[in-house]
Amino acid sequence: MTALALVAAKTVQVTDLNLYYGSFLAVEDVNITIEPNKVTALIGSSGCGKSTFLRSLNRMHELVPGARVEGEVLLDDEDIYDADPVSVRRRIGMVFQAPNPFPTMSIYDNVAAGIKLNHRRVKKAELDEIVERALRGAHLWDEVKDRLNKPGMGLSGGQQQRLCIARATAVEPDVLLMDEPASALDPIATLAIEELITELKKQYTIVIVTHNMQQASRASDITAFFNIEAAGRPGRLVEVDTTEKIFSNPSKQETEDYVSGRFG
Amino acid sequence: MSLLGRQHFQDELRELEQQALGGIDLVIKTLDRTLEALEHQDIELASIVIHDDDRIDGRYLEVQQGILSLLALQAPVASDLRVVAALLHVIKHVERMGDQCVNIAKMLPVVGYDPPKDEVMLEHIFKMGRLARSQVEQSKQAFLLRNVEVAEDLVRQDLEINRLNRGVFARAVEIGTDADRREWAMSMMLVARAIERIGDNAVDIGEQVAFVVTGQFREFSDASHVV
Repeated sequence: MTALALVAAKTVQVTDLNLYYGSFLAVEDVNITIEPNKVTALIGSSGCGKSTFLRSLNRMHELVPGARVEGEVLLDDEDIYDADPVSVRRRIGMVFQAPNPFPTMSIYDNVAAGIKLNHRRVKKAELDEIVERALRGAHLWDEVKDRLNKPGMGLSGGQQQRLCIARATAVEPDVLLMDEPASALDPIATLAIEELITELKKQYTIVIVTHNMQQASRASDITAFFNIEAAGRPGRLVEVDTTEKIFSNPSKQETEDYVSGRFG
Repeated sequence: MSLLGRQHFQDELRELEQQALGGIDLVIKTLDRTLEALEHQDIELASIVIHDDDRIDGRYLEVQQGILSLLALQAPVASDLRVVAALLHVIKHVERMGDQCVNIAKMLPVVGYDPPKDEVMLEHIFKMGRLARSQVEQSKQAFLLRNVEVAEDLVRQDLEINRLNRGVFARAVEIGTDADRREWAMSMMLVARAIERIGDNAVDIGEQVAFVVTGQFREFSDASHVV
């Protein structure tokens, strides 16, 4: 794969975001600018609202009955809550914790699925090209090029996750959201995904939720720390800064305690 | 959330700090012996100082190994990381200060049993020695207390040492009329220089204290930009 020049990705600007499940305020008052061509890691203990927040960035939370947001999420200048949710999710892709290739589909069809679902009329030759480009971009092409018509489920866990990344990038989104993309993978597959993330940021704006602090420090440029005061209280964005600052000299004691493991 | 956290790691880190700062105590003891040997022209004591330096070097290796293990196995971050990085500097300075004591001790046989002393020059040197001792002690306190003000105060004492050091030089020029005395005076200049360097090392430790506390490294005084 030739080195990609930096492609101008888009900025996600979140202002005064509150997220509710019914009457329960799950995430409170988040303000953050997620910068293009950078990897932003969301860290924090379980239940602090980071995954909920991530889902609100492409309106995925709306699949949960009763979930709603207040506030504003802008993709460059466009309010994603004024747009069609399907088009939002095409431009802001999501990669999940457990690799989830479509079980009955071939490797090829898994990657092509997004294009087909978006009802774009694409010629076979062009589709071949898109699939190859996406698989190469996900560092998977060489491993699967001779068995594109075999089921995606036949791949290893790490390969399946890279297949899901290829599927997410095939539709050429502006932003890639990743919810613990490597937590189900072994260390080698994890490093492969982290390398891939570093490569992908040349083209995309990337937000990654991770419980692995070493992963946040290795793979991200910006780290945002979420916390809750107690169970039943809303999650808050405590501090966001360069990853180097967060892991060497954070501004808030709360962040310091979390990253250095002083609290369980 | 539980308050337990990484207790085992915190214990290890605390132990490592005690080990490194204990190195400063070794230096103080060595410096005391060195100055005593100098005062009484005690060559026996000087040779003890020289041989005992192995202990300080050993401490250096122990702490360095402990730091490498901690970095490799525990991946410290934030203020813990800063402490670990600072301790690596501290123990290096400890090792250097030990070497300066050896340098001084090695001058004693050179000047002989009944050297043509100059009281003014010796007075300067012993005053420097006392100041250096107090600086080294204070650098340890500053680290223990994580106190930037105490650390910055080291510069004040260091300025006095530097002033006395220049005085030793001036005096050497004045008294260097006969060959024996000139030789003695030049040896004492090297002694003064070694003490002056110990003071500098103490200031360097103070700079590490400020780094641990603030996360910013800055030189308290910069020899290349004298005001």
